[in-house]
Amino acid sequence: MPEVTYREAVRDALARALRKDESVFLMGEDIAEMGGSMAVTQGLLEEFGPARVRNTPISEMAIVGSAIGAAIQGMRPIVEIMYEDFLTLSMEQLVNQAAKHRTMSGGQVKVPLTIRTQGGAGWSPGAQHAQQLEAWFVHVPGLKVVFASTPEDVRGLLWSSIYDDNPVVFFEHRTLYPVKGEVPEELEPIPLGKARIHREGEDVTVVATGRLVHEALKAADEAESEGISVEVVDPRTLLPLDEETIVGSVRKTTRCVTAHEAVTRGGFGAELAAVIQHGAFDWLDAPIERVGAKFAPLPFAPGMEQHVVPHAEDVLEAIKRTVARSG
Amino acid sequence: MATEVKLPRLGQGMEAGTIVRWLKSEGDSVAKGEPLYELDTDKVTQEVEADADGVLLAIVVPEGEVDVGTTVAVIGAEGEAISPPIVDETAREEVQEIAAPVEQVEEAPSETPVSSLHVPEGRVKASPLARRIARERGVDLAVVTGTGPEGRVIAEDVEKAAAAAPAVSPRAAPAAPPEEVEVVELTSVRRTIARRLTEAWEAPVFQLTVVANASQLVATREKLVELVREGDVKPTVSDVLTRLVAAALMRHRAVNAQFVEDRVHRYPTANVGIAVATAQGLMVPVIRAVDRMSVQAIAAARADLVSRARDGKLQYAELEGGTFTISNLGMYGIDQFVAVLNPPQVAILAVGAIEDRPLAVDGELVIAPALTMTLTCDHRAIDGSEGAEFLATVKALVEAPALAL
Repeated sequence: MPEVTYREAVRDALARALRKDESVFLMGEDIAEMGGSMAVTQGLLEEFGPARVRNTPISEMAIVGSAIGAAIQGMRPIVEIMYEDFLTLSMEQLVNQAAKHRTMSGGQVKVPLTIRTQGGAGWSPGAQHAQQLEAWFVHVPGLKVVFASTPEDVRGLLWSSIYDDNPVVFFEHRTLYPVKGEVPEELEPIPLGKARIHREGEDVTVVATGRLVHEALKAADEAESEGISVEVVDPRTLLPLDEETIVGSVRKTTRCVTAHEAVTRGGFGAELAAVIQHGAFDWLDAPIERVGAKFAPLPFAPGMEQHVVPHAEDVLEAIKRTVARSG
Repeated sequence: MATEVKLPRLGQGMEAGTIVRWLKSEGDSVAKGEPLYELDTDKVTQEVEADADGVLLAIVVPEGEVDVGTTVAVIGAEGEAISPPIVDETAREEVQEIAAPVEQVEEAPSETPVSSLHVPEGRVKASPLARRIARERGVDLAVVTGTGPEGRVIAEDVEKAAAAAPAVSPRAAPAAPPEEVEVVELTSVRRTIARRLTEAWEAPVFQLTVVANASQLVATREKLVELVREGDVKPTVSDVLTRLVAAALMRHRAVNAQFVEDRVHRYPTANVGIAVATAQGLMVPVIRAVDRMSVQAIAAARADLVSRARDGKLQYAELEGGTFTISNLGMYGIDQFVAVLNPPQVAILAVGAIEDRPLAVDGELVIAPALTMTLTCDHRAIDGSEGAEFLATVKALVEAPALAL
């Protein structure tokens, strides 16, 4: 299997969809000549032309609104929102319009829209260019929410998102773009709503998303050297959620840590904890631990940023708390 | 100021009770002295009264077993916030630390108390998994030492405890009974009977038996019945016997005693327990200071206690403080039997039926009503001679009740 970066994997899914299907097109700020601020769409303008790789004005509301219109008319638009922080500017279109049309029309109107965006700390982007806002969208019925953590997953999940008839908010993580991983020769769609067990273990389940999947895997290696066997599960799709796999894993290990880069409070880990305590109540041998960012706007200074967002050592500490003994 | 309603200790030795149901709901006004909830103890089920006026602000323990002294509810003024001492300070969410320069944006920690109540004292901290395993394997969490954080009982602790005592649990591995077998859960009373009598079985006991000529006993009772005024309870042979036994107890104080923690407590009055069969199981209400009562008064007290025992209306205190017990199966035609001690009492008298039998009286063989009585004694407190002397006195009094004067 070829090894590609996460960035290349995203680009590959986009290019294949553009090639396969005339109804697919891209919209976003600086995605054409510049190839996107994260260089994901580099080269696509050359292959597919300006009608299908469209630069837009700096108005997220207009971008998403027009994409909704196109989707309702039978297109499969793929929007790039440069930073997920800017999704806040498109909330009305996304939350009140895109998410509602299908049910309000009794199923007569579909909105096959994919909104790609990225965020995440680790490179001093400051408080306004690195938030992790996925939990906001998980709260909205009518949307689907994906957060992929590996090249293979990001390609297969993006494909399924493009061909889903519902609006999908598709999160990528800034620091994962250069991460390499093997992907199958042929693109294999990964169904939405299916979690991935990255590593099997016996003592603790870490349910992690995005960058924290990698941190959790590091923490699991470290824990193993200390005799703690850790299972790492990535839900990959936050909405709909693969409760069966997650709850099943915790029933097996009897302990759980949730981990994401977003702030802990009100984060997706809270929803996971609620689902898990309900589904695995009689199997829990310790309180569910949550790992996330401290409750503060992200500082610019690298040392401070490092302090606020979680890392493998935070996951490891949480793992140890779940297996702790008194005294 | 809100008042915490704590589970009362209704009598000595009461450690816990089971709240059966609340007679008031949250938000109801309650007056001091009004029945608040039904409490099932190991002896009785009784209504517990409110000890404050106000509004029932919160029911902390809706039902189930709780230890004495546990806060089960809160009574206060209408709309009153439950005061801080009742509030669980630890329930406040810990505010995560962030570095100084961004301190000003930290969310202010909430100063308003979270309205969650204290974990009732005595509640065992255990993980849900530990609780499930304990339930399935019949392990009592209260006796398991928790090794989790803050002493929480975790699964491993319960598994160790279960492995250490595989056969202890009455609920351990119950084989699925065939359909026709009726499985009866033990009531609180039944559990107590089982526990106390098992304890009693560990005491070293001996039994002594006498056969008494009951002619005078029967005659005395008949005379007393003739004297009963309209509306009064008719004394039974048992009532007369209770009075005679009390007189004997006063003459043999070693038998009128309790064995408590390696000490014998001898009592100045004969507080005689009467074993009563009820729908809930054996109950032994106590008639106090029987040695100072007339037979008529004993009959009235006995009738009242028996009828309330059968209705499940006894108060906890009425089952306590006995110094001796009489168990009478005569009405079932039983000639003779051996009773099991009623701890902490040191002796119990098993009384059979009065039946006509051939007896030797003054060298003549006569047919007379005879009564067989068997005394069970706790040998830790009583020697054979002491028990024998007491029983000889009982026999003498049965044969000549006037000697009890």
